[in-house]
Amino acid sequence: MFLTRSEYDRGVNTFSPEGRLFQVEYAIEAIKLGSTAIGIQTSEGVVLAVEKRITSPLMIPSTIEKIVEIDSHIGCAVSGLVADSRTLVDHARVECANHWFVYNENMKVESVAQAVSNLAIRFGDSDDDGPAMSRPFGVAMLFAGLDKSGTQLYHMDPSGTFLEFGAKAIGSGSEGAQQSLQESYHKSMTLQEALKIALTVLKQVMEEKVSGSNVEVAAVTPEKGFHRYPQDEVEAIISGL
Amino acid sequence: MALEMMMSGPDYMRDPRKHQFSPYANNGGTSVAIAGDDFVMIASDTRLSRGFNIFSREQDKVFPLTPKTMMASSGCWADVLTLNKVLQARLTMYSHEHHDMMSTTAVAQLLSTMLYWRRFFPYYVSNILAGIDEEGKGVVYHYDPVGHMEKLTFSATGESVSQIQPLLDNQIGGLNMLGVKPPTMTKDLARQLIHDAFVSAAERDINTGDGIIIHTITKDGKTEETVKLRRD
Amino acid sequence: MSILNYNGGCVVAMKGKNCVAIACDLRFGVQSQTITTDFERVFELGPQLYIGLPGLATDTQTVYQRLQFRIKMYEMREGRRMKPQTLMAMAQNLLYERRFGPYFVEPVIAGLHPSTKEPYICALDLIGCPCEPADFVVSGTCSESLYGMCETTWREDMEPEDLFECISQSLVNAFDRDALSGWGAVVHIIEHDKVTTRYLKCRQD
Repeated sequence: MFLTRSEYDRGVNTFSPEGRLFQVEYAIEAIKLGSTAIGIQTSEGVVLAVEKRITSPLMIPSTIEKIVEIDSHIGCAVSGLVADSRTLVDHARVECANHWFVYNENMKVESVAQAVSNLAIRFGDSDDDGPAMSRPFGVAMLFAGLDKSGTQLYHMDPSGTFLEFGAKAIGSGSEGAQQSLQESYHKSMTLQEALKIALTVLKQVMEEKVSGSNVEVAAVTPEKGFHRYPQDEVEAIISGL
Repeated sequence: MALEMMMSGPDYMRDPRKHQFSPYANNGGTSVAIAGDDFVMIASDTRLSRGFNIFSREQDKVFPLTPKTMMASSGCWADVLTLNKVLQARLTMYSHEHHDMMSTTAVAQLLSTMLYWRRFFPYYVSNILAGIDEEGKGVVYHYDPVGHMEKLTFSATGESVSQIQPLLDNQIGGLNMLGVKPPTMTKDLARQLIHDAFVSAAERDINTGDGIIIHTITKDGKTEETVKLRRD
Repeated sequence: MSILNYNGGCVVAMKGKNCVAIACDLRFGVQSQTITTDFERVFELGPQLYIGLPGLATDTQTVYQRLQFRIKMYEMREGRRMKPQTLMAMAQNLLYERRFGPYFVEPVIAGLHPSTKEPYICALDLIGCPCEPADFVVSGTCSESLYGMCETTWREDMEPEDLFECISQSLVNAFDRDALSGWGAVVHIIEHDKVTTRYLKCRQD
């Protein structure tokens, strides 16, 4: 096993005889080192919640940004190498803006995931479109949004695979979190319930005690589009858990 | 002697001569579109001409784009065909990329964007786009050749626009009529107005005539009707 | 652009049942700049004889004055009123005299025959080529729009009131789509026993 790997895990676009791309698999492993992020889709909107790892008391927690706005109707939570996600998020924003410019309509969440996926798998060789990343992006993303077909939650991993979910957890605590989500998720959930569940699950999987400053919460709803929850509102939910 | 020198000498001795290629032709054509609450009608004359020559007496200038939208184009026929081909390709690409039919508003914006991309070598085309919007209502979009777009309920474009537009302003827009409410648009009224407008245009404009094809779009689909015009 | 369109303006005339109508806009401008909005370009040349002179404003005035002079001479010598047909011939002559350095006006004549009261309308080009149709004549910067309007609104044998409505709507809606004419309009309805002149309110832009 170790021998086989050492021969085929150098080139990012070289398949092993078993048909595996090791660098992509390693990138997926990298996600498991990232902080936990959760997305829950309900008929009233989509919730995103992520853990912020505060590694030093001198760190300013508000500067950690793991939930970002792609467009007024789409938000995105990331886990893994957050620096890598900046490139992908930038790409998603450009695609959304361009779609609006050309078609005067909001881009579908699936299309955004597709567009980001196209960039995510463009590692290895540089081509006509310019230089590419030399390795896969070490980041997984949750796209939460609202489009013609209603509320949507998409997950994308470093292999570029993107799938729609009712609820999805990524990052270090994802295994336990996904299990919890499976148990508590149901289709007729309200947005408030989803918020509560997201924070409950985070509370379960986080090493630190969950507080208003070490989680980031946002939602996309038909009324307000993408919006973040301020610290005091997050604290209110936490205290009600 | 000098003349002989010039005729027979090397080319740098000859008179300067200017060669010119004109990339545009005007092939005439007039289009009108009228929207109602649950339908939209778009019509164009069927004459294709250049100067005093008639190339065709039965050329429809209205193109289907999606089940809910159609576009009437006139001007330089080569540009009309190219623009339509490119637009058609973009529509197909959209439906593949987004697994959905393009809405009328999206087609409208796309057309504007495409025209503006050619800002400095424009398609010499006058367009009207007609369709049913997301609410099921009829809409008309009017364009200039470089992509200025305006959403309207009625519009004329092409060779005879100046003959037809004031009539529509008055009869549909209710302009300059004190105490007269603009009429509620029905298919019969729209058809009648389109017919009258084209008859007048054909009477006075040599580039408009032969016939009209009137396309009607409703939520249930499209129909078309041909009406004859004077052929001189 | 042609010098004919330098100052803007338009005139239309129509035949009705035992009546004729002639109307014009009131704008006087220099290309896209509007100078005044009370510039009438239709003039009374006799009790039932009117001429509209759209085109270059200086020539509008000159041609009007020269025609007035010739008409006065004619009526003094002949001791009778001038027929509209005669006015047409006279205008034609006046314009063709300047065949190679023309007045930049394209006149429209409307009137009733002094004795038979037969309606008459005609239009001339700037060198005096006449056109005497049975329905309507148009001239000026928005002639194409006027053709479109008149062609659909004109009916045979209109009574004076209908004729007024028809010519007014045709004129106003036509010049609303023209930047070089508009800013008010004046309409003369010429009947055998009276002439009604009305000033129309319309959009000022």
